[in-house]
Amino acid sequence: MTLPRPAAPLLPLLPALVLLPLALLLPSQVHGGGGEAIAAFARAALQPSLDPLVLRSALSGLAVTLAMALLGWTASLVLGLPLGLASSRLVWRTLLGLTWPAELLRWLLALPRSVHELLWGLLLLQLLGLQPAVAVVAIAIPFGALVARVVADQLDAQPTAALEALRAGGCPAPAALLTAIGPPLLPGLLSYGGYRLECALRSATLLGVFGLGGLGNELRLTLQSLEFRELWTGLWLLLAVMLPLEAGLRRLRRHWQAPGRLRLGQAGVGRVGRELLWLLLLLVVLSGLAGWSLGVHPAALLDWQPLPPASGSWAAVWGLPWPTLLATTVVLAAVAAALAVGLAPLQLLLLAPWPWLQGLLRFSWALARLWPPPLTALLLLFLLKPGLWTGALAIGVHNLGILGRLLLEGLEDSGPQRRQALLAAGSGPRLALLYGSFPALARPYLAYGAYRADVMLRETVVVGLVGATGLGSQLQESLSSFAWDQVAALVLASAVLTLIGEALSDRLRLNLLRQGPRERPPAVGGSQPVLLQA
Amino acid sequence: MAAPGQLTPPVLELRGVTVPGRDRPRLAGLDLCLAPGEKVALLGASGAGKSTLLAVANGLLSPGEGQVFWQGEPPSRQRRRRRLQQARIGSLWQDLRLVEELSVQQNLNAGRLAAWGWPRAVLNLLLPLESADCAAVLRRLDLDPALLPVPVGQLSGGQRQRVALARLLRQEPTLLLADEPLASLDPRLAADLLLLLLQQARAPRALLLSLHRPDLLQGFDRVLGLRQGRLLFDRPAAALEADALAALYDAPPPAP
Repeated sequence: MTLPRPAAPLLPLLPALVLLPLALLLPSQVHGGGGEAIAAFARAALQPSLDPLVLRSALSGLAVTLAMALLGWTASLVLGLPLGLASSRLVWRTLLGLTWPAELLRWLLALPRSVHELLWGLLLLQLLGLQPAVAVVAIAIPFGALVARVVADQLDAQPTAALEALRAGGCPAPAALLTAIGPPLLPGLLSYGGYRLECALRSATLLGVFGLGGLGNELRLTLQSLEFRELWTGLWLLLAVMLPLEAGLRRLRRHWQAPGRLRLGQAGVGRVGRELLWLLLLLVVLSGLAGWSLGVHPAALLDWQPLPPASGSWAAVWGLPWPTLLATTVVLAAVAAALAVGLAPLQLLLLAPWPWLQGLLRFSWALARLWPPPLTALLLLFLLKPGLWTGALAIGVHNLGILGRLLLEGLEDSGPQRRQALLAAGSGPRLALLYGSFPALARPYLAYGAYRADVMLRETVVVGLVGATGLGSQLQESLSSFAWDQVAALVLASAVLTLIGEALSDRLRLNLLRQGPRERPPAVGGSQPVLLQA
Repeated sequence: MAAPGQLTPPVLELRGVTVPGRDRPRLAGLDLCLAPGEKVALLGASGAGKSTLLAVANGLLSPGEGQVFWQGEPPSRQRRRRRLQQARIGSLWQDLRLVEELSVQQNLNAGRLAAWGWPRAVLNLLLPLESADCAAVLRRLDLDPALLPVPVGQLSGGQRQRVALARLLRQEPTLLLADEPLASLDPRLAADLLLLLLQQARAPRALLLSLHRPDLLQGFDRVLGLRQGRLLFDRPAAALEADALAALYDAPPPAP
């Protein structure tokens, strides 16, 4: 007798098994007390402070965060697109007939992308002092390297038949690339670009939490001084910006992917190109305005401050508890990933019979992805002792919001037919969802979960910095004691760990996507093919 | 014919069913009665209301006016009862709507979900359940029981048709509904499927099937002609004349 092998629909639910050890362990982590603070926090949600002073400071904080996000995002695209072209094997092979420069550039770009934007922010803060450009550059560096990687991967994944046909007809290489590879590349890149804007907004909020300016700063200060009503003022404002942004980007993505389906008029020749050009002009104007309002001075970026002298003591670097640090970081990421990946489908399944509760679930997911993980950790500390589980919960909840949204979009894109057929045959709404919709979603969803797990590994640093555990908390100590050699070693260690995680998650993801049924395209990929490959 | 029909309630009965539409009603005051064992074909041009009628018959669409009865009972308000009513109606979908990622056996058992609770439904995803029953259903449709562990995604077109039908039979329905099941099938597959459907519709099970090919009416008891949401004719299949068909497929009078 072999062990039962779970069929596709059960796969997305398996990670939720992590709830069992969590349920056993969490009670021992509760330190008693703090329940009142949580209750006050929840009550304050319904009565945010409407004091004009509070509103004004929240609004100006929000404006700064938005400007930082926009500018950082634009800069990351400006950096990432050319770097992506330059690290594509296809481009080098077509232009010059060799590929090693592409490989070399890929290697060089691995470091900037594997260091979390928060770490970039803290390092740049030491180097440049507190100025608005720090947050912008901190976002632009890792995001630019990520965009470059996606652009290059996408370029290299395109079928080359059309390109070869044009080349055989005597078309020069650059023109052939633009004509044959550009258009099929575009929808994917646009959807990825839009996704990065959402990420930039989240990152800008997060950087604010660590004192780099903007709304995040206000959120942390109000949380630490237990001014929950003022805290919710900022949160609701952020939600009011984030939800329309997400909805708008989704609409744009669909519009460009299937212009005919939404019946937004005839797709005239070159219309997408013209729309893009207008959008680009708008972006230039907006970025200019954002830079001006933030008071970014490009010249100030060259004005480096001398770093305090390093102690140069290698014994202290080696003396750090490396095995514990690495192990806790990995366990933290794994628990968070299992929690986020497994909980989203489980919640959806449990609430399937009640559509109005699903609306509530959507809303809770929106709040979860909006709320930066370190703030969740701070909030959890009212109830729990600091440590691995608190950090894992904080990261898990944040990513649950992101995965939940992806799952819902996948469900909507895959259409209701099979679920409907099961309902018509008399099965209940939960089983119809489990049998009708989960099978097709399972593999693409898990593949995205694998990608997300790697992102969570990067994010462990963030909760570490508020004292949870792992490399991040050690980094916090080393930073505050100006032990630069330790900081460098820790950043490098976290970068290497992230890159190993990336390689593993890539392999898992490709396996998951490859084993799926061949006939039909993966359902989740309908609207976000690039997300799944990112 | 009327006498036995009085003893057992009709499998499906529609009384004055009206479904509102944008310009004109999609169905307008339609009456229909299906006796056990009856095989009825539904003809009509595109947009005549065939799909709407079938959606009302299988309970996915509740009519704006009029009533639906399944075996003499109106749709139940009680959730559990309603599910069992749904299970007695077997719909064969044009796109089959099988779960590609699951094995044939798991797909067949998906037809039993109305009767099964949570635990068995989950167990079905882990272990082979009710293998003997599944194999028997496959044999009834001339399929090899060795197909049971094969993922549906790997089957040929004809096999998938039969598996979809087998899933229906696992539901043990009293009413078989199919909306243009033969569209987009090659002639041989279409003839095979039609024969299978007619074979499975033995009393007490009735069959209601929409068609767009008047040349395939052998084997049916009655033919209904639907035009602009109204019943144009309802007569024995043998007594169908060419002029009735011509009226059915005539272009509708131009809108004023």
